[in-house]
Amino acid sequence: MTDPQTPPRRRRPWRRLRSLRVRLIAVFAAVALITAVSASGIAYWLNRDAVLKRAQDTALNDFRVSLTRNVSDLPLEPTCPELAYLAQQVASSGLNYDVVVTDPAQPGCAVSTDPSRFTLQDVPQALQRAVATPREVGAGNQYPYHLYWQRVNLGNRPFLVGGTKVVPSGPTAYMFKSLEDERADLNTLGWSLAIATLLALIGSALLAQAASSTVLRPVRRLGEAARRLGEGKLDTRLEVEGGDELADLARTFNRTAESLSHQVEELSAREAQSRRFVADMSHELRTPLTAMTAVTDILEDEADSLDPMIEPAVRLVVSETRRLSDLVENLMEVTRFDAGTAKLVADEVDIADLIMSCIDGRAWYDAVEVDAPRGIRLMADPRRLDVVFANLIGNALKHGGSPVRVAVRQEGDQVVVEVRDSGPGIPEEVLPHVFDRFYKADKGRARSEGSGLGLSIAMANAQIHGGTITAANGESGAVFTLTLPHTPPSQEDAQ
Amino acid sequence: MGQNEPVPFLLLIEDDDAIRTGLELALTRQGHRVATAASGEDGLKLFKEQRPDLIVLDVMLPGIDGFEVCRRIRRTDQLPIILLTARSDDIDVVVGLESGADDYVVKPVQPRVLDARIRAVLRRGERESSDSSTYGSLVIDRSAMTVTKDGQDLQLTPTELRLLLELSRRPGQALSRQQLLRLVWEHDYLGDSRLVDACVQRLRAKVEDVPSAPTLIRTVRGVGYRLDPPLQ
Repeated sequence: MTDPQTPPRRRRPWRRLRSLRVRLIAVFAAVALITAVSASGIAYWLNRDAVLKRAQDTALNDFRVSLTRNVSDLPLEPTCPELAYLAQQVASSGLNYDVVVTDPAQPGCAVSTDPSRFTLQDVPQALQRAVATPREVGAGNQYPYHLYWQRVNLGNRPFLVGGTKVVPSGPTAYMFKSLEDERADLNTLGWSLAIATLLALIGSALLAQAASSTVLRPVRRLGEAARRLGEGKLDTRLEVEGGDELADLARTFNRTAESLSHQVEELSAREAQSRRFVADMSHELRTPLTAMTAVTDILEDEADSLDPMIEPAVRLVVSETRRLSDLVENLMEVTRFDAGTAKLVADEVDIADLIMSCIDGRAWYDAVEVDAPRGIRLMADPRRLDVVFANLIGNALKHGGSPVRVAVRQEGDQVVVEVRDSGPGIPEEVLPHVFDRFYKADKGRARSEGSGLGLSIAMANAQIHGGTITAANGESGAVFTLTLPHTPPSQEDAQ
Repeated sequence: MGQNEPVPFLLLIEDDDAIRTGLELALTRQGHRVATAASGEDGLKLFKEQRPDLIVLDVMLPGIDGFEVCRRIRRTDQLPIILLTARSDDIDVVVGLESGADDYVVKPVQPRVLDARIRAVLRRGERESSDSSTYGSLVIDRSAMTVTKDGQDLQLTPTELRLLLELSRRPGQALSRQQLLRLVWEHDYLGDSRLVDACVQRLRAKVEDVPSAPTLIRTVRGVGYRLDPPLQ
């Protein structure tokens, strides 16, 4: 089987399938080859033996009979021509063979029916010796001289040479019988067997191909199903056919997928539950907070005229109530992002105006340097962007220290806002976590003024615009970079 | 507040006892006269009996909710209504504004903020000058603070009236949503542009011949709104 190296396209799954297929075919072919070759080999050798034996027996018998019939005409001391005549007689009465006769009593007289083809020299020495050697006559052996034969190749053609003493002390006769026909028959047989072997090989390869297909098709289906499962389609199931190992595998796959989807369902149900809990909780907190907030202004206004012992307590209640309401506000914002109910009220805004009003509104003017060219306009929710700027700049002022530099530039179809502070920067191990909820960079300051949600809310607000925020360390402090597209992905124009 | 100004009379409809008490305390302290109701039904009854200057209305009420209360009041009266909502992003705000509310505040609200909003809404009804202008069949009388269309008096809320006045003060000039929020709602910083959009819709329903194809109050895409004198 030719197996050209597959090109590297569709690499791994195809190559793996292919190698399994090749292995199957190789095994099938090897089995077929061994079986066919041994069967035809045995058949060939048995046949060859039978064919040759029959041809030999016929020829030698005929030679013997013919010789016996003609030897009676021979005088006691035959002359060379008489011997030639005998040879002629034997050859002509028999089955198409040539005869050579020789007489040890008359050296040099070796007659042949066809001297151009056969002479005494063509008779192997071993055969001549065997014929000339008398055997001891006993119980198992009636005659001192026997008929001997040998197969030889003369000029690349197969011959049977048989020889015996014509009379015990007289001349010796040899016959040459061509085995050409037998060889042709055996060659034909050999070819037939070779072709049969080849056919068996091809058949086994096809069979292997078919077998591997029946195995590999379910394997491929299993592979595809596993890939779909991996892509998150947890309802992927396989059709189970039959009761073989592959069906078992398919059943196992289905059971695995089943339990996986159960677990995922359970997990997401639990997560949804906990999110709902946070959402409900913050809503529940809001009601008492609203009542408390309503009276904080009164308490604050009256604080100056209160007992100096009471006054700090009142101020603490007022400030902590505000902090609590900020925290609950942020929590609700986070749950809104989690639930996907946060909405974008987009408007065309000038980013420089937005940054200036953000800084103005919070009286940060002295601490922040702004490098923002006017005229960079984009579609965005101004209130959400204000939250982003307030968080980034507020964070820079609180943790980095002034001066805080805000730079705006346009990059392609995106607007980039950089907020740099002049602080010590963010420790490398903290950088990946700065946008995590409730992650406090400084463990010692667990009770900082922030809710711990500011940067994650800023990130969520950037993401709802189709943008993002990255944090890094610059030359002189932390750098937060906000990137926004000119148009948010699913634009909800307010009109 | 000047000495001679009448004390504003507010109706606060809120079902939670603590919030109602707290807000009543705070608003009273800010110089308002406050009547309270714990349900929509009580609120409507009290409203008819006492005729307040303004209503502060919670959205989530047992029985008939805040939106329905708002709609029922709007059928007959144009007094200012401020909604108390749970979330700023919510559908609550949109529905509330569509039912005819003039402004909204998000719980937990600081009394100072609520007071500022109340005073801003009340100021919208104050008359300012004595001229009048005509836009086709629409006549705006600034001295009487009335608007007539084809001689018929239009029932406009103070917010709608103020929006129309601000637009008519600069005819043909586009005003952005944020500008309108500053001029009409007195939101000094990043107001909710949905307030403007909802109010424009309500105003169009009252002054336009075909509200879905406005010819007077035109939308200027990417900018805001503009009052066009009709083509003669």
